Amino acid sequence: MHTFETFTNNILEIKDLSLNFKGNNPDTLILNHLSFSIREGEILGLIGNSGCGKSMTALSITGLLKSDAQIKSGSIIFNNQDLLKLNDKEKRAIRGKEIGMIFQEPYTALDPLMNIYHNLEEVLIEHETLSKTERHDLIVKMLDRVGFTNSEEILNRFPHELSGGQRQRVLIAGAALLKPKLLIADEPTSSLDTVTSCSIMKLIKSLCDELNMSVLFISHDLSTVGNFCDRVLVMRTGEIVDSGSSFDILFNPKDAYTADLLTKSKFDPKVLNLTFNTPDKDAEPVIKVSNLCAGYMDRKGFKRVYKNILEDISFNMLPGEVVGLIGSSGCGKTTLTRALSGLINPKSGTISTPAGRLAVVFQDPGTCLNPSYSVYWHLAEAIRAAKINMTKEELKAKATDTLVSVGLEPMHLDRYPSQLSGGQRQRVAIAMCLMLNPAIIIADEPLSSLDTTSGARILSILSSINREFNTSILLISHNLRIVKATTSRVLVMNEGKIVESGNTQDVLTNPQSDTTKELLDAEITLHKNFSTDRLAIE
Amino acid sequence: MKARVSYILSKLLEFILTLLLVSLLTFAAFSIIPGDTASAILGPDATPEQLAILREKLGLNVPLYQRYLSWLGGAFTGNLGESTAFGVPVSELIASRLPVTLGLSAIALVIVIVIAYPSAILSSRKPGKTLDQVFSVFGHISFAIPQFVLSLIVILLCSTVFNYFQVGKYVEPSKDFLAYINCLLLPAFCVSVPKIAMTFKFLRASILAEKGSDYVRTSKSRGLSDIKIMFKHILPNSTVSVITALSVVLADLLGGSLVVEQVFNLPGLGRLLIQAISRRDFPLLSGIVFYLATMMVILYFVTDILISIVDPRIKMGEGGQ
Repeated sequence: MHTFETFTNNILEIKDLSLNFKGNNPDTLILNHLSFSIREGEILGLIGNSGCGKSMTALSITGLLKSDAQIKSGSIIFNNQDLLKLNDKEKRAIRGKEIGMIFQEPYTALDPLMNIYHNLEEVLIEHETLSKTERHDLIVKMLDRVGFTNSEEILNRFPHELSGGQRQRVLIAGAALLKPKLLIADEPTSSLDTVTSCSIMKLIKSLCDELNMSVLFISHDLSTVGNFCDRVLVMRTGEIVDSGSSFDILFNPKDAYTADLLTKSKFDPKVLNLTFNTPDKDAEPVIKVSNLCAGYMDRKGFKRVYKNILEDISFNMLPGEVVGLIGSSGCGKTTLTRALSGLINPKSGTISTPAGRLAVVFQDPGTCLNPSYSVYWHLAEAIRAAKINMTKEELKAKATDTLVSVGLEPMHLDRYPSQLSGGQRQRVAIAMCLMLNPAIIIADEPLSSLDTTSGARILSILSSINREFNTSILLISHNLRIVKATTSRVLVMNEGKIVESGNTQDVLTNPQSDTTKELLDAEITLHKNFSTDRLAIE
Repeated sequence: MKARVSYILSKLLEFILTLLLVSLLTFAAFSIIPGDTASAILGPDATPEQLAILREKLGLNVPLYQRYLSWLGGAFTGNLGESTAFGVPVSELIASRLPVTLGLSAIALVIVIVIAYPSAILSSRKPGKTLDQVFSVFGHISFAIPQFVLSLIVILLCSTVFNYFQVGKYVEPSKDFLAYINCLLLPAFCVSVPKIAMTFKFLRASILAEKGSDYVRTSKSRGLSDIKIMFKHILPNSTVSVITALSVVLADLLGGSLVVEQVFNLPGLGRLLIQAISRRDFPLLSGIVFYLATMMVILYFVTDILISIVDPRIKMGEGGQ
C-alpha cells in the first residue's frame, strides 16, 4: 500500500466542474461544481450509486461525452493543459496514449469481426510509428504481462472465443499498451464473478505499480475499494460528499451517506431487516431434484452432439427455506435455472414441484421486460399466460397489491420499463413472479446489475416475501456476502456438479471443496479490511 | 479451416435438397392446374381424339413420376423442353434473355451500393438533423413513386433534355459492349430506386445501432477519429446485417422487372414471363419459374457462405461458440 507521502504531484486536477444535459432543469446539475485531483501513481476510488455522475466524470475527462451533455463550468488539468480547452484532434492524441480507459462490459467492448491482434493493433497504429513486427512484439509482450500463457495463440482468436475475464484482460492490455499516465477503470469487474474480479483487480494494481500509472477506479461497490484503492471519493447526485484514505472511509466514514452505503454493502441481515422463516424440517419439500442431467444440442461438423452441462444434480428445498447456490461463471448455475424453470428438458433425472408453481427472477432486469408495454401489462401477462380467469377489476386489484408488496406505488402500473430505474425494473420482475403466488422463487443473480442501495432493497423485498408468503427462495449468486446474509443452506457448484452443500455458516467457515476455498480466497482478497471479519461466525 | 469446409459442405447439402424440392414443387404446380399443354396448343375447339394423339406425342400419358424424373433430368442438363408458343427450346429462350436481366441486375446492384452507402453514412452522422431529414424525404419519395411513372419521367428527361442515353433500344453485349451498358443504365437506375431507399433505411438503422455499441466506445477511448471508426468498425459490422438485405434486393432484381422491361422495350425475362403466361406456354413457364427459383437458392447459398466468411461468430461446426 502506498503512503500519502509517495504522491507528490497531481496527475489530474478537476476544478469546479459542472455538467448538465441539454433541456434539463438548469438547477439540477449532473455534475455539481466537482473538484478533486488524482496523484501520481495512486489508485483513486470513485464510489457512488447509479446515476450519481461517476461515469459522466470519467467521460468528461476523456472527452467522450455525448453531444447532449454540456460542460457548464470548470477545468480538467492534465499534464499542465486544460482538457476542456483542447480541440478534437488534441483530445484524440491524449486518449489511448496518455489516458487509457476500460469499461464495464468486456463482452461487447471488442469488435466481434476482428481478431484480438487487430483489435489491439489500432491503438499502436493511431499513436506510434512502429513496424509490423514491433507492433506484434509489443502486443505479445503486453498479453504475456496481463496473464496470458498462450499470447501468440490468443492473437488469432476472435472475441467470442474468449471468456469475460480473458476479454477484460485483453482490454486492459489495450489500455496499457502505450503505458498511459492515467487509467480510468469504469466498473471493470461488475459483470465478472468474484474469482475473475479478484484476478482483474490484482492485475490492475500490479500494472499501476509497475508502470507508475495512476488509476481512477469507478465502482458502486464500496467493499472492493479497501484493498485496492489508496484514496476514496464518495459521490452523490453530482457532488463529492466524502473523501479520505480507504481505511478512513471504511472504518471512519465522516458522512452519513457513506455510512449508509457502507452498511448496505455489508448486507448486514440485522440492518437490512433480513429475517427469514425457519423451515419445518418434517414438511414435504416444495421442490425435489434427483439425479438431474441436462445440457444442449451442439453441432460438431455434420453431427449434432449432446453437450452435457449438468451432471447428477440432486437437492430438495423445504417450504419457506432460503437456499444459496454459489459458483464461478460457467459452472452451470444458469443452465440449472433453465432446467428447473422448464426452459430446457432434462436429459435424465427428475424435477418435481409438488407444492405448486415455480417462478424465476433473471439477472438483467433491463432486457427482461418488453419496452413497448406498461408495468400493468407485464403483471397481467403472468395471469394470462397461466390461463387464470379474473375480471378486469380483480386483475387490477391484484396487480396493485403485488406492486405495493415489492415497494412500488400504484402509479407505477402505467409506467413503461424505460421510465423505471434498474432497481425498480427488478422489483417489477419480482412482482411478475408474485402474481402467481409461487411456492418457489429462483433468483438468478438478481443483484448483479444493480448498485448497492437497490441491491439491498431487493434483498429486503425477497426476505419480506419469504416471511409473508412462506415462499422458498433459491438465490443464485457469486457474491458470498449476499449468500451469507440471506441463506441458511448453500449449494456450491463447479463444472455442472454440486461439489459441496450444507449449512451456510459451516460451508463458508470450514470449506471442504477446492471450489469453495477458491471462492472464499477471492472474496477475502477482494474485500480485505471489509469482509474478513464479516465471514467469520458472529 | 476444417470447420469452414464442413460448414460449406453442410450448406451445399442444404442447397441441393432445396433445389430438388423447388423442382418438385414447380413440376407439381404445373401438372396439377387444370388444362395441359396439349389443350393449350390445340385450343378450345380440339376434339378428344386430336388431344389424345397430341398427348401421346408430347409424352403426357406416361405416369407423373416418370414425367417428373425425365423433366428433372432435363432441367439439370439444361434441357427444359420446347416452348409451345415460340417453337424453340426453352433453355435457348431463357439464355437469350439472360444478358438483359443479368446486366440490369448487376448494374442496378452497383447503383444501389454506390448511392445507399454514402447516403447512409452521411445521414447517420447527425441523426434528426437537416441532412438526415433531406435523405429521409428522398427515401420516402423513392419508395412511393410507381416504377412506370419514374421510368416515364426518366425517359422524358433523357430523350428531351440530355440526349446521351439510348432509350427503347437494345444492343447485344457481344456486338457492342459499351452500347449494351449504355442502353441498360437508365432502366437499371429506374429498377434500383426503390431498392436504394430500402438499403439506405436498413443501413442507416444498422449504422446507428453499431455507433452506440461498446466496441465503438473502446475505439474512441483509444483516440481513433470518427471517420476511422466508421470505416474500420461500424461499416463492416453494419454490412453483416445488410448483406441479407442486399441478397433480397438482388434476388428481386434477378427475377426481371415486368414494368421497366416493358417501358424500356427490353427483351428481358420479365417480358418473357408475361408472354409465357398470356400464351399458356407451360414448358416455358415452368422453365422460367425453375430458373428463378434456382437463382434464389443459389443466391441464398452464396449469402450464407459470404456471411460466414465475414462474421467469425457464425457457428461453423467445432469452431462455433
